[in-house]
Formats: sequence, structure tokens, C-alpha cells
Amino acid sequence: MSSPTLTVGLVGAGGIARAHAPAWRALGADLVVHSTDGAPGLAAAHGGRVARGLDELLDVADVVDVVTPTPSHLEVASAALEAGRHVLCEKPLGRTSRDAVAMLEAARAADRQLYPGHVVRFFPEYALMRQAVRAGEIGAPAVLRFARGGMFPAWSPWFADDAQSGGVVLDLMIHDLDLARWTAGEVTSVHATRRSLDADGARHTLAHAVLTHAGGAISHVRGLWGAPHTTFRTSFHVAGDAGVLRYDSADAAGVRSDLPPVPSGGQDRPAPAAGESPYLTEIREFARAFTASGTALAPDDPHQPRVSAVDGVIAVELAEAALASVESGEPVAVDTAARASALTAADLETTGSRA
Amino acid sequence: MTPTPAPLRVAILSFAHVHAASYVALLRDRPDVELLTADPDAATAPADELRGAAFAAEHGAAYVDTYEEALAWRPDAVVVCSENSRHREVVLAAAAAGAHVLCEKPLATRVADAEEMVAACEAAGVRLMTAYPVRFSPEFVTLRRLVASGALGTVLGGTGTNNGKVPAGRAWFTDPDLAGGGALADHVVHLADLLDALLGEEAVAVRAVSNRVLHGGDPKVRAETGALVSITYAGGAEVTVDCSWSVPDGAPTWGGLTLQVVGTGGTVEIDPFAAHVGGLVADGARQAWLGFGENLDALMLEHFLGCVRTGETPGPDGRVGLRTLRVVAAAQRSVAEGGAVVRLAS
Repeated sequence: MSSPTLTVGLVGAGGIARAHAPAWRALGADLVVHSTDGAPGLAAAHGGRVARGLDELLDVADVVDVVTPTPSHLEVASAALEAGRHVLCEKPLGRTSRDAVAMLEAARAADRQLYPGHVVRFFPEYALMRQAVRAGEIGAPAVLRFARGGMFPAWSPWFADDAQSGGVVLDLMIHDLDLARWTAGEVTSVHATRRSLDADGARHTLAHAVLTHAGGAISHVRGLWGAPHTTFRTSFHVAGDAGVLRYDSADAAGVRSDLPPVPSGGQDRPAPAAGESPYLTEIREFARAFTASGTALAPDDPHQPRVSAVDGVIAVELAEAALASVESGEPVAVDTAARASALTAADLETTGSRA
Repeated sequence: MTPTPAPLRVAILSFAHVHAASYVALLRDRPDVELLTADPDAATAPADELRGAAFAAEHGAAYVDTYEEALAWRPDAVVVCSENSRHREVVLAAAAAGAHVLCEKPLATRVADAEEMVAACEAAGVRLMTAYPVRFSPEFVTLRRLVASGALGTVLGGTGTNNGKVPAGRAWFTDPDLAGGGALADHVVHLADLLDALLGEEAVAVRAVSNRVLHGGDPKVRAETGALVSITYAGGAEVTVDCSWSVPDGAPTWGGLTLQVVGTGGTVEIDPFAAHVGGLVADGARQAWLGFGENLDALMLEHFLGCVRTGETPGPDGRVGLRTLRVVAAAQRSVAEGGAVVRLAS
């Protein structure tokens, strides 16, 4: 990229935009914002400016950060890719795997970079755990547990509509479905259960998924969109034949306070236990890749971030398998190893046809 | 002045289970109990396991060689600590002798055996209790109160963990013929019992996956060491249980049990074995774990002896022992069928 300063077009001005905007600014990027709602406020808060429309944003941006509600991810990301822009798209890549694959194909056709915002891979506790597992510190992974939950996301109405958000499975548990695969390897079956109840004017949903991995490990992923007072909490317990690694955000506080209760509800997303914002870690890694090349990176390029668009597609496919299992009450066979190579081979074909 | 009641005669039948030592220690010194023990299958155990007359002498308990002699002593009650697959014969003999029974968990290794044991005790008019000590932990009592009072609202489901070290000291625990399985048979029942008490509902669907990655190279471990079990209850609650033997051998404590229950009112999580003093000892070479809290075996025995005196039905009775064994059997069938969902008639 010729310009030393990256211009980032932020499409969307909701909760996740407020996490991404300061990270881009901390990296010295110029921000241009487009949203149907809230763009002026976000731009003012983070020293950006408001685009007159999506077309103007696409004209001026080097990179487009898609932080709209899930159903519009494909449309916005495709427009950006077709305009020759690199794209960071918030997870899930799409409401359906069909959308996610179409986005991947759009990136291939445009020869541009596309990354999914699977930010939990950048949270230090998860990154360190995975690094230790890969280094053999716990031996062969055997039984893994991942839990994540907070209040029902009442701050934006589309979350409550399964048709738009995919509910707790696609919107929240997708993080841990991705982490389980990242940690314990490719997946061969998914079984899931879910219970949802309306009470006291609020929706409550608890869901479980159990994954069987090709290497023999089994993983439990639990998601909760709970009562309005629920504190956001994540935990994992990863056991192998040579050791155990565990983490619980409820035990990790560097500050413990005993002050009068804050009258508002729970947190919409976790505060880091320590260190820099994981959104900054994530966006720094993506920005490094974006600035390394104006086109797609070769698979072995050292600037490849730790999460790829193929990972993002497979995460949607795992969530879809879990939703199918919830519907049918039966386990669903998957083959993420075959999907990973098929989706990666498509890359080689595209590259080949270009050459 | 109330006359002191005559001491209860209690016989501990078999020292196969590791809890036998705890029961001997608790019953031996009670003024209201006369204790007799028998361990006729001692010779079938590996030579390096302390069993039989030598075990009784070591723990200061009166001892006879056979169950027949122990039952001829006319005990009011027996505590059955034989290998799981041998619970049936001992419980049937005790019922025939008119003794109330506290039986180690799981109640049996086959559902048909447990059904026969429950029926025999009911026919004989003796109480049958299943040894589920966590039921008596103050933490569970609190959780049960919060559910019963409505503070948790409608229960959506929960997550249970019962992780421990691979059982050592008694080889039969990892022999599926005697134990009835591995981690699934050993650890699912405790949580199934707590959920049974909490929800008052039967399991209607069970699905399980397991593996032998943990201790996979140990030839003495001939059963699954890791498993995840998903249970759907009649009212719709969805629970997943991790029952794996995933606590490393070098850990400072044996393991533990946790249960997190999610309701429309919020979440409550119990960890009845959490209370301990931690730290580093032996020049920093070893982690300390100085556990404290209620002696759950003592609370359980107190309840059992009270029921023996009053004739009341014990808290975890034979029927819950049977219901929880059905969950284990369904989980084992699910594993055998490659992770198929097993539906139970409620």
C-alpha cells in the first residue's frame, strides 16, 4: 500500500463498532463511518468523519470493516471486495454458510483479503492456552470445556430474532466452536441442545454443543444469554493426558471492588483481564496483513493472520450444524477437515485461473 | 428422662470400595452403633491391596469371614461396599436377613439388577439407600433451597462436572466387568442424583461420547476415561455433564464436583469440595491442598441411621439409585451406538 496512513471505512456504528474504532485510531488509521444509525456520534467520539453513503466510503477507504448486523454482512462485504477493498468482517461471516461461502468467493474473485472478526483468538488467555496445547504441554487433548455467557443482548433488537442473528448458537457460541477446533483440531460430529424461555419481560437462552474431534478429543461448548443482571463470564478447562489448563474470567480480576452496586445491567462484552484490548491485538494483526499487500496473501505468507476466511466459513458451518442438531434432536456428522481443504483448494483454483 | 436406645447393629459388607475405611472410622467410635465387618472376596483382590481380616485389624473393626456369619449376627443395617457388579448378591442377602441397606454407588452395573434389588428390599420391608454423599453437602442444600423457593425461576438447564484422578488403590474400579464401566459408571451418577433431587423429573433423552485419551497407555485402565453426557429432563431442562478422570496424578487433591444451574432468575453454581487452604510446601516442591468442610460421609451415615431407627425412607433411596443407573446405562448405550440419542420412557 503506497499511503502510509490506512483509511478505514467502518460500516455500522453499533456495539462492535465502538470496540473496533479506538483500535483503528490507536494504529493511526483515518476513520470514515457509514451507518443507517449512529454514524455521527461514533465519528465524533473517535475523531472520524461521516461518509455521505456507502459509495463514498468505498471510494475513499483502503480497508472496509463490516460491523453491521449479521444479515447484511454479505451485501456490504461483497460490495467492498468488488470495489477492490480488503475486508474485516465481524463474526459470524454470514447468517448462513451459503452467505459465508459467497463472501469467501467474492474475496477470491476480487483477489482481496478477507478476515473474520473472531476476536477471542486474540484474547491472551485463549491464545496462551492454545499455544501451550500446541506445544504439547498437556499432552494429547482429551476433554475440553468452553463456556461463555452474559445477559441477553437486549441493546439491539435484531439479536432476539433468530432469523437475523441465529441466536446464541450463531452469535455467541460460534466463538467457542471456533476455539475448540483451533485447539483440538478438525471436527467430525456436532450434537447440540438449547432451551429458551421468556420470563419477566426478558428472553433467556441456554445452549450446549458437544463436538467430536478427528483426533479423538471431545469438547463441550456452553452458551448463555441470561437474565438482565448477568455478568459476562467466559471460562475454559482443557484436559489432556499430560495436564490440564483452565481459566475463568470470574477468578481473573486484577481489581476486586466492594462498592455500591451499579444500577445498570450486565456488560455487553468482556473487559480484558489484563493487557491491551484484544480488539487492538486483533486489528493490529489484520492491519499488518492489509498493509503488506494490495492483493490476497499467499497461504505461506508470514503476514497471514492467525484466523482466515476459511476458518470463518467453517465456524459458521459448525454453528449451522449445531442449530440443525437442536432442530432434529440428533447429532450431525460434519467433516471440517474436508471442508477446510475444499475451501482452500478453491483458492488455489482461483489463483491458477488468474495465472 | 428418655432411656438411651439400644445400639444399632451395623455390618459393613466388603472392603472393596475405598469408602469402606471412612465408614469403619465413622461407625467404629459411635456409642449408638455396634460394628461388625466381613470381606469374603478379599482373596480375589490383588495381593498388594489391604483387604479382609488385615484391613479390619488395621482399622480396629470386629471381623468375621463370611457374609453368612455377619448376617447371622442379626444386624439392623448393613453398608454394602463390594465391587459394583457384586452389589446385587450382597443386597439381596441382606434384605432376606431383614437388614436395612446403605449401598455404595452405582447401585448396580445392570438396570435389571437394580430393579431386582429395589423390589427385594421393598418386599422385605427394609429401607434401601444409595450412597450419594454430595446430596448432604451444605452447598447442595443451599442450591436446592434456591430452586425450591423460586429464586432461580424456571430452570433452563445446567452444566455438571465430576472430575477426578484415575482411581488408584483399588484395581477393580478400572475393570469394566467389576465396575460396570469407566468414568461414565463412576462419575455420572452423583450429578444425575443431584439433578433428580433438584428437578424432581426423570431424564427423557441421553446422549454421550467418550474416549480413552487420558491414561490411554495404561493397560490396567480398560474403560473410558473421558466422557461428555447430554441429558434432557422431562420438563425440558438441558444439562451436560463432564465425568472425566481428567485430574492429573500429580494434582494436590483427588478432584471435585461442580454443578451450575441456570434459571430465568439467574445462575447458581456450587463447588462443594472447594474449601481448602492452598499454597506451596516442601520448599515449594508441592502444592498444598488442605481441604476442609463438612464430612459428607458422616452426614450421610447420620441420615441413614436415623431412617433405620424411625423407618423413614432415606433421602437418596433405592429408586433414585435405579433412576440414575438408567441414565448411566443410556449413556453407555449411546456411546455403543456411536453417539446416538437414547430416548427413555418416563
